Parts: sequence; C-alpha cells; structure tokens
Amino acid sequence: MEYMVETKGLTKQYRGKEVVKDVDLKVPKACVYGFMGPNGAGKSTTLKMLLSLIQISAGQVTIGGKSVNRKNRIAILKNTGSLIESPSYYGHLTGRENLEIVQTLKKVPKQEIDKVLKLVRMEEQQDKKVREYSLGMKQRLGLAEALLGSPALLILDEPTNGLDPAGISEIRELIRELPERMGMTVLVSSHLLGEMDQMADYVGIINHGQLIFQDKLEVLHEHSRGSLRLCAMNQAAALRVLKREGISCTLKEGALELPRLSDDATARLIDLLSGGGAGVYRVEEKQKSLEEIFLSLTGRRGSL
Amino acid sequence: MLCEWKTEWMKVRRKKIVLIPAAFLLFTFLWLSWAVRSTHVDSAEDSWMWLLLCISIVNTILMPTMIAMLASRLCDVELKGNTLKLLCTMERKGRLFDMKLLTGAVYVEGYVAMELVMMLVFARTHGFAGGLTLRHLICFLLQCGLVSLGVLLFQMLLSLFSANQILPLAVGLAGSFLGLFSWFMSSPFWRVIVWSYYNLLAYIGQNWEESSHVVSFYERPLDQTALVTLLAALSIGYVWSRQLFMRRTPGCG
Repeated sequence: MEYMVETKGLTKQYRGKEVVKDVDLKVPKACVYGFMGPNGAGKSTTLKMLLSLIQISAGQVTIGGKSVNRKNRIAILKNTGSLIESPSYYGHLTGRENLEIVQTLKKVPKQEIDKVLKLVRMEEQQDKKVREYSLGMKQRLGLAEALLGSPALLILDEPTNGLDPAGISEIRELIRELPERMGMTVLVSSHLLGEMDQMADYVGIINHGQLIFQDKLEVLHEHSRGSLRLCAMNQAAALRVLKREGISCTLKEGALELPRLSDDATARLIDLLSGGGAGVYRVEEKQKSLEEIFLSLTGRRGSL
Repeated sequence: MLCEWKTEWMKVRRKKIVLIPAAFLLFTFLWLSWAVRSTHVDSAEDSWMWLLLCISIVNTILMPTMIAMLASRLCDVELKGNTLKLLCTMERKGRLFDMKLLTGAVYVEGYVAMELVMMLVFARTHGFAGGLTLRHLICFLLQCGLVSLGVLLFQMLLSLFSANQILPLAVGLAGSFLGLFSWFMSSPFWRVIVWSYYNLLAYIGQNWEESSHVVSFYERPLDQTALVTLLAALSIGYVWSRQLFMRRTPGCG
C-alpha cells in the first residue's frame, strides 16, 4: 500500500521526558485518517513534528514518499495544508486579504481563492475584517488557508473546535468529501470518538505518547466484540435456561446481556428460551461504542 | 524572495504605519521652527551647523520612540493572529526575519531621507546660505541612518518575542532618555548601549561661553572607534538575532 505519511520511530522528548514514543504512523493515500487520543496524549505534538513545527528528538518523517529534512521541508510542506490548534489570521485584514497572503506565499493562482471560499462557504464574509469573525468563521478561514492550492495532504488538528453543531456537521461533511472530490489525504485529529466514526476511513489511537492501535475503522469495530441483549417477559425462567446451558449473563437496564454467540447457538438458545416459558420478545446485537473500544484498548476510565 | 517581500507589505495594509514617521517628521519640523526663533546665528556656516546639531539632538530623543512604535506595529500582526506557525510551513524562518527587518529598514531609512529633504526645505525657507557639505551629508547618514538601523534591529527582536507590546515600547522610551543623557554626561557606559551612538557619532559640537552667552559651533571629528564598534555590533547583532528568531519560533529551518 502507498502511504502519504509514514513515520518511523517518531519520538519527542521534553526535558528528558518522552511525550511521543516510537510512533510509526502509516497514513494511506486519498483517505481520511483519524488520529485519536485523549487530551495530552501527544496528538498535537505528533502533528507538529510532521509539519516540522517542532524539532524531532528521534525518528523519521516521510511525506509523499520523500523523507523530510531541513533542506526540503518547505518544498514538501508547500503541497501540504495545515490547521494546527487554532487558526492563524491577520485580524486587521479581510478574509480575502488573508487568503491572498497565503496564496502569494504558496505561489498558487488567484482563482484558487474563490474556489476555497466556496468550499468553506465563506463567500459572503470574505470582505469582512477577520477580527470581526466568530470563532467558527475563523476556523473556516483557517481551513480555507489550508485548502489553498489543493494540497495533496491536509493536516487538521481538532478542526471542529469552537464550531456550532451546524458548522461541525458541515466541516465533517467537507472533510469526508475531500479524498473523493480532490484526491486529498486528510489527517485529522480529534478526541471525540463519535466524530471519527462519522468521517474516518482509517484510525490511529495514541495514548501516553504511544500508538496503541492503527488500522481501518472497520477493524476497530471488529474489536468491539458485541454482546447479545435479550428482553424476556419472564426473566426468572430465562435465567434458569441460561444457567442450565452454562451461558453467563448480566442484568442491565431491565434486559439480560449475554456474550456474543454464533448464529446457530443463538437460534438454539431462542428455541430453548421459548420452550422454557421465558416469553422472549426482543433479541438484539449490541455493538460496543467507539468510546468503549477506546477504553478497553487504553484501560482508561472516565472522560476523554 | 520577491513573494515573501510582497507579503510583508500585504500584511501591513490598513495599519497606516506611514502615519507614525509622518507625525514624527511634522513634530521635528515644528520643534525646529520653534527653536530657530530663539536662536541667533551669525554666519551661513553656523546656521547649517546649528541645524545639523539640532537635528542630531532631536533625533536622539524622537527616533528611539518612533522606531519602537514602528517595530511594534510591524511585529504584533504576527503575534496577535498566531501566524508564525502557519508562515513557517511556507517560508523559511530566516527569510521571514530578513523580510521583516527589511520592511522596517525601508520605513526608517525613508524617514531619514524625508528628514534630509525637510532640512533642505527648512534651510531654504529660513534663508540659510550655502548648502549641505558632503562631509555633513555622509556624517548625517552614518549617524542617523546607521544608528537607527541598530535601534530597529534591537526593537524588532524585542517586539517579536513580546506577547505584550508595552515592554518594547517602554524600552524604546527609556532609550530616548538614555540617548539624551549621553549628550550631557560622559561615561564609558554609553559605548555599550545603542541609543547613545546618536551622540557618539555626532559630527558637530558646540561651546557655550557663559560670560557672553554666545554659542559657537565646531566640527567634531568622527569617532572611528564608535563607528567600528557600531558596525561590528550591527553585524554580530543581526546574525545573533536571526539565529535566536530561528531557534525560538515554531518550525525548523
């Protein structure tokens, strides 16, 4: 498989403490790669290292097949759009004038400005001074700056921060469409697991500076090892049958939760429960939420 | 390089930075107009020497403050909008520093040029006979142009690293006072601060005779040690400031 971003042993130390340890990222081309982890896990530090915004303590970064070094970093990064932490802007200038500065530095045609303004739906606000923008508008401007020149790689650090629900949905939709519409690779970080579920094709999970999972989103879902949820009119009878069959179960929110069974075993169990007078009225497969999967991978409890 | 240079001018659009040197130039003109009314100079040569000395002192007081304001206006655009992390993915940091310094230098040297024009106009309107000698012109450019570049470099570095621009502005104001004191107090200390070089590179001196209340002007020989020290400090300061900027701002290289 061809990778747009590949890192080998990427490490960052601050005063002897490793905040990112031996990270081997593999971001396939033309996909949305969700980079997840709790706050302080090392997401932003890793993204900054990819953009050479901070020095790498050890390891190597390859973007578009080229190993990034001091000499070629600007040439490589000119084909990369980024929005790290908070949008960058000149408050005394209009949105369009801000984009003109980036367009001049990236040496891309002026028509690109109209294209990105349309993409982020900012045409009507383009002539307003940026200091008068809401945080959401500034975030859109940051995204427009990143999109200028249709870069092959887009690196976005929590791009939906500060947006209202409608804005979040729009930006997600836009990110989701970029690989297909423009052939871009999007590396997007977030601590919101549900967000990744809606836009990522591939997922990488970082915790305490270590990459603990990296694969397709479906593979992550396979990790969910869903359970069966069973509702019965006569729970005592159902429990007797389950005990007799040696199937462990727990009572949760008025329903019985059993481990996942094969299709044959499930069919047989339903027959037995009906015969035993349990009065089964609902059987459903329960998938672990992404959050539960994350917690089982990291062994962490509480808020992300 | 041209596009980086162009973007520096795009960034300062609507900042009305040119109003700062314009206001200081107007103030200098008004100061000279007020001073000339209470001054009686006899010879044509003395008229010019009075004017050049007066300009040197006025510049010592005003230029550090003006340069601090200029540097602050040029640098705070990057700090307010957190733009360095974006710029450093598109532009080499060393070049960004050079372009910023060059933009500041255009304003400062533009001011020096305008001041020269103002002096000529002032001399003509007040009937000063003769003209500016070549020595005076060179000395004026060395004193005003070169020292101001040193002050600009120092202020720019302060402004680039200060989240709150009050500090560099206060330093600029303090520089004005220190520079002024250096005209009246002799001390080796003045050789280590940049603002006092307006005095150290002064090329006109004056004697005031207490009994007759007469001021006479004389040509001061150029302090070559001060000139060499300033040139060396400028070169080392530029390399050091550039390195510091490259080390302390986001982005490698």
